[in-house]
Amino acid sequence: MNKTILKAATGLLVLALLLAIPRYVESPYALHMMILLFMSVAQGQSWNILGGYAGQHSVGHAAYFGVGAYTTMMLMHTKQIAPWFGVWVGVALVVVVALAIGSICFRLRGPYFVLASIAVAEILRLSAINLTTLTNGAEGILATEIPAFVIGGTVVTDFVTKVPFYYIGLFLVLLTIGITYWVQHSKLGYFFQAIREDQDAAHSLGISISLYKNIGLVISAVLTSLAGSFYGIYVGFVDPGTVLGLDVSVQIMLICIIGGMGTLWGPVLGSLVLVPLSEALRSNLFTEALVKIGMVDAESKVGIFLKENLSHAHVLLYGVLVVLVILFMPDGLMGFIKKLATRRKQEAV
Amino acid sequence: MAILEIKNVSKFFGGLAANSDVSFSVEEGMIMGLIGPNGAGKTTLFNCITGYYPPSRGEIIFDGRRMNGLDPDKVCMLGMVRTWQKVRPLAKLSVVDNVMVGALARTSSLKVAREMAMEQIKVVRMEHRVDFLAGGLPIGERKKLEVARALATQPKLLLLDEVMGGLNPAESEEIIQLILDIKKRGLTQMVIEHDMKAIMRISDRIVVLTSGEKLTEGSPQEVVSNPDVISAYLGESHA
Repeated sequence: MNKTILKAATGLLVLALLLAIPRYVESPYALHMMILLFMSVAQGQSWNILGGYAGQHSVGHAAYFGVGAYTTMMLMHTKQIAPWFGVWVGVALVVVVALAIGSICFRLRGPYFVLASIAVAEILRLSAINLTTLTNGAEGILATEIPAFVIGGTVVTDFVTKVPFYYIGLFLVLLTIGITYWVQHSKLGYFFQAIREDQDAAHSLGISISLYKNIGLVISAVLTSLAGSFYGIYVGFVDPGTVLGLDVSVQIMLICIIGGMGTLWGPVLGSLVLVPLSEALRSNLFTEALVKIGMVDAESKVGIFLKENLSHAHVLLYGVLVVLVILFMPDGLMGFIKKLATRRKQEAV
Repeated sequence: MAILEIKNVSKFFGGLAANSDVSFSVEEGMIMGLIGPNGAGKTTLFNCITGYYPPSRGEIIFDGRRMNGLDPDKVCMLGMVRTWQKVRPLAKLSVVDNVMVGALARTSSLKVAREMAMEQIKVVRMEHRVDFLAGGLPIGERKKLEVARALATQPKLLLLDEVMGGLNPAESEEIIQLILDIKKRGLTQMVIEHDMKAIMRISDRIVVLTSGEKLTEGSPQEVVSNPDVISAYLGESHA
């Protein structure tokens, strides 16, 4: 009982802190980092419901991310429809896309499902490149003029600063964590995990495999699409590579693999590792650090090579990271922490 | 009254007849034994009955309803559940969660499902294992877990596929007692088993399959004294 109170208190404290941050932190860069973190958590949680709990390792979640992002941006750009309406059109479209994909791909199991999910996302990416009249092709859509959000004559926000995006991002995080918690503590979560552990056994226990896989997919896809729409309006630009590319799908999955699949806090931990890491690589923090501690001379050939290339090396580093995680922490950071905790408990006894 | 009727069921895989023209019926409350040498088509017949394979020919009538072509989950919801020869525990879930998955076929409330699960865990005498991960159990307990999980779906007919396979004599004896306990509670069972002594003790009637065909059917005494059965198992010189 004390433990639950402690947990709830910690949760509320963290939440209060997160709500208060924009009041005290003015640096747009810090807020930007937090928004990226929120986006990553939301993506990871969305994938986790299908991939982590139901065990259907989709490597095509860029499809739902991209459809959400594109729909919202296209409606805003060409029809001047405000994003808070456009988002729901995106959601509706994603449900249709998800059910179409599900009805085809869920006939396949294991690695065959993974391949099919990649193929479907690639079809959407190529469509986005080639349907130029609709999507503006490879050039993408630039739309930064978000109308002010007005309720009953008062302007709630005009989206000029990063603060409204911060709160939308935080809301997405709470929503996805809340839904994951609900799934975990309902019949749905039990059925998902049964399907993950042994599909034939689950089938014999009265679980309709195709029904529950599709339910998992729709929940996961809708949440991913919300994250995609958020990405679109926050960055103000979408193109086929950045929202529909294979990188996006892999990145979403990595959050869960590193943090721990099928756990409530895995995607949060995964994001806390991946977002700072990719930011450090992008801004070349590592090279600077190596130069500073005197390991590498900035003017030497090695220094110049690192400076020029390390910022593009995130894919390589992700690869190394995945290999390390799979070798040493097959259940991700959450699994690793749990193992440490039980070991300590056993030592205490 | 017959709860399950198998009428002229055949199952072909290409040119191979895994079952051909098998007919028998299972009366309510009884234990029906299903025996036969390896490759006789016992598990294939289970798969046809529980919806994993559609039978190529013939009819399966359960509780007055034609079952041909129904999916396994529908079959379970109608009251017929099976266990697996090669056990299939949900490895990363605890024992109670495994059994709850079965109970959730009948309720949406986790609380009710938990109570139902605890009841079945008591039936198989695994109270001391409630919070253990299913993947870490020894084989004897995995087999019992299969039975508890199947029972939790509240079936009218329980199909056990070699629950004693791979067990030591003490563990087998436990399973025999368990099957007899379940019978006492009025549940109909159909049991595939290789252990002849065990099947003689528990079965009310026995069907013998060889090469996909029904060889004979009768009480345990009738079956063991049938020369055809002896020759099917031991070769003709012993008959």
